[in-house]
Amino acid sequence: MLAGYSTVSSKAKIKGLEKIDRLFNTYANSSLGMIDPEGIEALCSDLGVDYTDVRILMLAWKLKAEKQGYFTQDEWQTGLKALGVDSLSKLKKALSDLEKEVEKPSNYEDFYTYAFRYCLTEEKQKSVDIESICELLNLVLGVQFRPQIDSLIEYLKVQNDYKVINSDQWINFLRFCKEISFPDLENYDATQAWPLILDNYVEWMREKHS
Amino acid sequence: MVLHKFGEKLYSGLVTTMTSHLKEISNSIEAAQGGLFLDELNRKWAEHNKALQMIRDILMYMDRTFIPNTHKTPVHELGLNLWRDVIIHSHAIQSRLQAILLENVRRERSGEVIDRGLMRSITKMLMDLGPSVYQDDFEKHFLEVSADFYRLESQEFIESCDCGEYLKKAERRLNEEIERVSHYLDTRSEVKITNVVETEMIESHMHRLVQMENSGLINMIVDEKYEDLGRMYCLFRRVSNGLVLIRDVMTSYIRDTGKQLLTDPERLKDPVDFVQHLLDLKDKYDKIITSAFRNDKTFQNALNSSFEYFINLNSRSPEFISLFVDDKLRKGLRGVTEEDVELLLDKVMMLFRYLQEKDVFEKYYKQHLAKRLLSGKSVSDDAERSLIVKLKTECGYQFTSKLEGMFTDMKTSQDTMQGFHASHGSDIGDGPMLSVQVLTTGSWPTQPITTCNLPAEILGICEKFRNYYLGTHTGRRLSWQTNMGTADLKATFGKGQKHELNVSTYQMCVLMLFNDADRLSYKEIEQVTEIPTFDLKRCLQSLACVKGKNVLWKEPMSKDIVDTDTFLFNDKYTSKFFKVKIGTVAAQRESEPENQETRQRVEEDRKPQIEAAIVRIMKARRVLDHNNIVAEVTKQLQSRFLPNPVVIKKRIESLIEREFLERDKGDRKLYRYLA
Repeated sequence: MLAGYSTVSSKAKIKGLEKIDRLFNTYANSSLGMIDPEGIEALCSDLGVDYTDVRILMLAWKLKAEKQGYFTQDEWQTGLKALGVDSLSKLKKALSDLEKEVEKPSNYEDFYTYAFRYCLTEEKQKSVDIESICELLNLVLGVQFRPQIDSLIEYLKVQNDYKVINSDQWINFLRFCKEISFPDLENYDATQAWPLILDNYVEWMREKHS
Repeated sequence: MVLHKFGEKLYSGLVTTMTSHLKEISNSIEAAQGGLFLDELNRKWAEHNKALQMIRDILMYMDRTFIPNTHKTPVHELGLNLWRDVIIHSHAIQSRLQAILLENVRRERSGEVIDRGLMRSITKMLMDLGPSVYQDDFEKHFLEVSADFYRLESQEFIESCDCGEYLKKAERRLNEEIERVSHYLDTRSEVKITNVVETEMIESHMHRLVQMENSGLINMIVDEKYEDLGRMYCLFRRVSNGLVLIRDVMTSYIRDTGKQLLTDPERLKDPVDFVQHLLDLKDKYDKIITSAFRNDKTFQNALNSSFEYFINLNSRSPEFISLFVDDKLRKGLRGVTEEDVELLLDKVMMLFRYLQEKDVFEKYYKQHLAKRLLSGKSVSDDAERSLIVKLKTECGYQFTSKLEGMFTDMKTSQDTMQGFHASHGSDIGDGPMLSVQVLTTGSWPTQPITTCNLPAEILGICEKFRNYYLGTHTGRRLSWQTNMGTADLKATFGKGQKHELNVSTYQMCVLMLFNDADRLSYKEIEQVTEIPTFDLKRCLQSLACVKGKNVLWKEPMSKDIVDTDTFLFNDKYTSKFFKVKIGTVAAQRESEPENQETRQRVEEDRKPQIEAAIVRIMKARRVLDHNNIVAEVTKQLQSRFLPNPVVIKKRIESLIEREFLERDKGDRKLYRYLA
């Protein structure tokens, strides 16, 4: 966030907001009053990123977007203000800064948890289907924990104990990647409070490599 | 002389005189040949003692004044010491004495008779000379030599005797030594020599004895050699780990035989026989422990843990035990005294206690009890109730409350029937006699409601009953359990022979159809009765394919029922009995698919119990780590079943999802209760 914002005169403030709003309206669906998936796709192409790029997810996180595929005006305003951008070019530059911000340990877990919540599209939905989870894992953790994620995704696809993953299991995937040595899995203790799905994964891995 | 201050001269004079005198004596003893040596020694010793007494008396004044003042050895003691130094410890005598004493012992051990009195005197002499004299000059060597002797002898025995014989010999030797000590050795030698015998004869060969082929511990157990076993117990008790060895070998044998029994498919074909076998096995070992092993508690415990181990190897044990009880309560206990009934039930309870999956037993017991009650086939109401009381004492009220509910329903139904007949008696007239048992749904094992079209005559009276019942019990719902009823039919066959047929409700429905038709196809029967296929086929099989009970004739006369079969009323049916029982209501061991189903239901029932336990524990402890939850849950549920740790984990996760619990954000091993 640019420190300068707080010292700018009110006139400039309103001007800044105007630009943000104008940017909003470029992509918003007028009848809905918010940016819908089409708009996001357009935004992405203008930004030069694929709409499945993890940076868009990060943007959503920064905007604290509630509903997947939609940005409300409030979210847009608050988010862009927090990023300190009011134009497309500035937004483009901010995206790489955003990546660094997310990677900060204090933010990462928050982002990770957000990523799961973002997938809960239905009301009262508590779990996400395996297919989507695999994609999400790849997107969110794939770069940092490539071997673990590849292996875990393979397992998730072949097992049939679980058809959906809940938030508890989700958060433990991250902890697993961070804490357990790979690929030996030496320090994994199934008698501890790991979710059963990871116990099963470890067993599967150990059988595979025996 | 003392008075005149010649004490020193007197004393030293005494010493010199005695010493030289003793030297002479020593010579004479040495001169004695062979067997006379001891004799001579003994005699001279006796003389010396007498002399000492006299000398002491004479020199009493010196003994009391001069000697204490000058701290010299008192006269008597001096006499003994001199005897010791000059005679016993004289080079020639010392070794010869030792050799002869030990030789005597050896001779006696080989069966010769020796002069025990003489031996006694000599050893007493040694003891009088001082305990170290006895020990150093005799006992030490005695023990060494004995050890060698027994080492050799035991080696000989072990090569040539079987276990029982060996033990007898060892026991005899042990007793011999004890007796020897009492006759001519110092009592304190007893524990030392018995130790030697125990070490050489028992401890060294413990393992070999126990494992001895054809005569070892296992053989003794199998052949019920109580005396030999008792002897082994007493002997082995004397050495460290002796009993542990017996116990371990016995335990692993019991476990193995038990395991074999439990996994032998032949044995498992007849559940009643199987359980009887278990009881016999327990009786056998109980008898061994009481008669041969002195009711040793550690052995009892080992037996119990062995039984617990192998009974639970077979997941059908709970079912089989229930079937055993069912058989006994149906017919096995007919004519048995009340005392014997109690004895048997107590034995059954003991097997029950070994079960890990008591909830599975409960399920089967309920099913079997239901059948017994409904068919009126219980031999003794008292026996039934007695067992329920025992189960209640063992497992608490919850276990038996439903069972008791079943008994209550039976009683209540009786009263209801009385009321029904009283009010409708006149209505019924010539029609069928109805007897209804009203079962409270929660208390009885769940039964599916099946379709079955009752014959018109029956429907009529059933409706009358339904109205009567609902008239007095508003707000209730009655459903006929056609798969559980029975009927008595009066049948007249071709040549006028009459029989009373006791059949199941399904069978009744089928047979009544033949009042209006002589032949019916399978399909027709199925259509009219609407009895489910599996049950209908079983029902028709019992009516047409069983020798002596074939009131129906089947075309073609094959063993199995198929859709294309036709059935005819068997006019030519004969039986030497007036009353013929065709119904199949007795409890039988479940088929594999039925067993799977029951198992699944048990697993389902366990889930809420596990969850309740988890919630109870977490509510009390607030925060707890995973291992402790598993341990606590297991402890809480162990009186009913052994929960699978994986299932516990699954339940925890389910509770997390439903937000009863959460994982602690800081410490990954902990769970937290969410109020």
